[in-house]
Amino acid sequence: MTTLITLEILRTLRNRRYLFFTVAYPALMYVFFIHAYGAANQAGGLPVKTYFMVSMATFGAVGAVLTGSAQRISLERKSGWTRQLRLTALPGRAYTMGKIAASAVTTLPAILVVFAAGAAQGVSLTAAQWAGLVVALWLGSFVFAALGVALGYAAAPDAVQPIVMIVYMAMALLGGTWFPVSGSLEKFARLNPVYLYNHLATFTRPGQSLDTVAVAGLGAFLVVFVVAAAALYRRDTRQA
Amino acid sequence: MDTEVAAFRGVGKSYGRVRAVDGLDLVLRPGETVALLGPNGAGKSTSLDLLLGLREPDQGGVTLFGGTPRAAIEAGRVGAMLQSGGLMSDVKVREIVRLACDVHPRGRSVTEVLADAGITELAERRVDKLSGGQEQRVRFALAIAGDNDLIVLDEPTTGMDVSVRQSFWASMRAQADAGRTVLFATHYLEEADSIADRVLVLHRGRLIADGSSAEIKARAGARRIAFELHDGDLPDTGRFDEGLLRTLPGVRSLDVTARVPGVRTVRIRTSDADASVAGLYRAGLYPRGLEVTGVGLEQAFLTITGELDRNDAALESAR
Repeated sequence: MTTLITLEILRTLRNRRYLFFTVAYPALMYVFFIHAYGAANQAGGLPVKTYFMVSMATFGAVGAVLTGSAQRISLERKSGWTRQLRLTALPGRAYTMGKIAASAVTTLPAILVVFAAGAAQGVSLTAAQWAGLVVALWLGSFVFAALGVALGYAAAPDAVQPIVMIVYMAMALLGGTWFPVSGSLEKFARLNPVYLYNHLATFTRPGQSLDTVAVAGLGAFLVVFVVAAAALYRRDTRQA
Repeated sequence: MDTEVAAFRGVGKSYGRVRAVDGLDLVLRPGETVALLGPNGAGKSTSLDLLLGLREPDQGGVTLFGGTPRAAIEAGRVGAMLQSGGLMSDVKVREIVRLACDVHPRGRSVTEVLADAGITELAERRVDKLSGGQEQRVRFALAIAGDNDLIVLDEPTTGMDVSVRQSFWASMRAQADAGRTVLFATHYLEEADSIADRVLVLHRGRLIADGSSAEIKARAGARRIAFELHDGDLPDTGRFDEGLLRTLPGVRSLDVTARVPGVRTVRIRTSDADASVAGLYRAGLYPRGLEVTGVGLEQAFLTITGELDRNDAALESAR
């Protein structure tokens, strides 16, 4: 199983286009956003630089795991590679574990590059806060990896691409990625995993600790996505 | 020692209203090289999917080495090459072969597998940069990545040009010579004729012939006799008697045409050409331009499936 997982990670790192979009693109967007908003202004009660550093890191992480798992799984189901793997002694879960591992490997640099850009722009946090933030956002990305696996087993490649884009953009739009959500929108946002994901960062604000409601909410989404992914995987296996 | 490599017992499988496999009974024995023939849509791929446990039968059961297909795969006794077996992208040939050898419970050495599949020189190439025929060889390498007892190949030489196909057959034979049971589906009859020691013919999900390639040819009426009969050469009565031709020994089918006045062209398919020709002269006929030709497996195959189609059509109209 480790051979498969290693190979999945290796081939992901070899795909330069994928790396550019997952690692470099969110950092570029970050620089663009803080200038568009005016670096001295506030967003969601925080300096623009800090707010968008978190939201672009989560944007990059979600994008990396969704495209990395959903599109590849869907393509490899169509090409017959998943059938070929079923003729090996590998357990069925090895394949999805490989996909999740490979996307997790790319989310980490996506987060770190945005954070480095934030630090260069003058965002200042304690060492413990930086480290905690990296760990929180990295762990949170696994929720979306499970969603990506489910989407990959839900539809054929030509349908998966638009589905992933719509889900990704809708969650980002209403989840505080491009602008802070407030007022009546915020009530709905509580049901949006990206909003909850962004809220993992609130412990860095003065006088606040980790948002346990967001953690519990993400935990619930993880369960839902894993159950959906397992059911869709079984459906796919029956259809051979 | 197992006496049964694989067994289908009363296996049926439908997709909606289409009956893909219909009451299949079949046993494969150790060391056999078996060709599975049939036109497109005959149920070849479905049968192989059922054999490998990729699909579940609606009726009956499939066993591999006395257990479930999955158990046989997990024990490393089966290797398979699928028609639609996609490959990983962004990896090298050596890497994907190493993966297959690594996960196989009885994995072989990567170098050996590459050599046996004839892809040593492709080892450092990216999988996504290969031609169709080269990809087929990589798939074959995945099927022989371990010390399997049974190798299943679904249309392995599709997309290969003639010379590559010849060398691929040598690789297949080497697997059989190593004592492995080989089952392959094909629609190249030459492939079945030159490699298999047992040929199965599948038609509309049913097994309609099972025997050596020679037996199948004999069953179809293995030789064709063609000649002309001129009115002037007819025996004493001076009348042409088609019934006489029909009663010649060995005759399976008869076709008489008369395009030129006074000349009839006769085509006979026979299971015993020598006896038919002797009978022809004994009856006092004088065949002109006599030709006796053998039919290949291809003709035999068309004959057998054609007979069946006619029978089916007759049954339909009788209803």
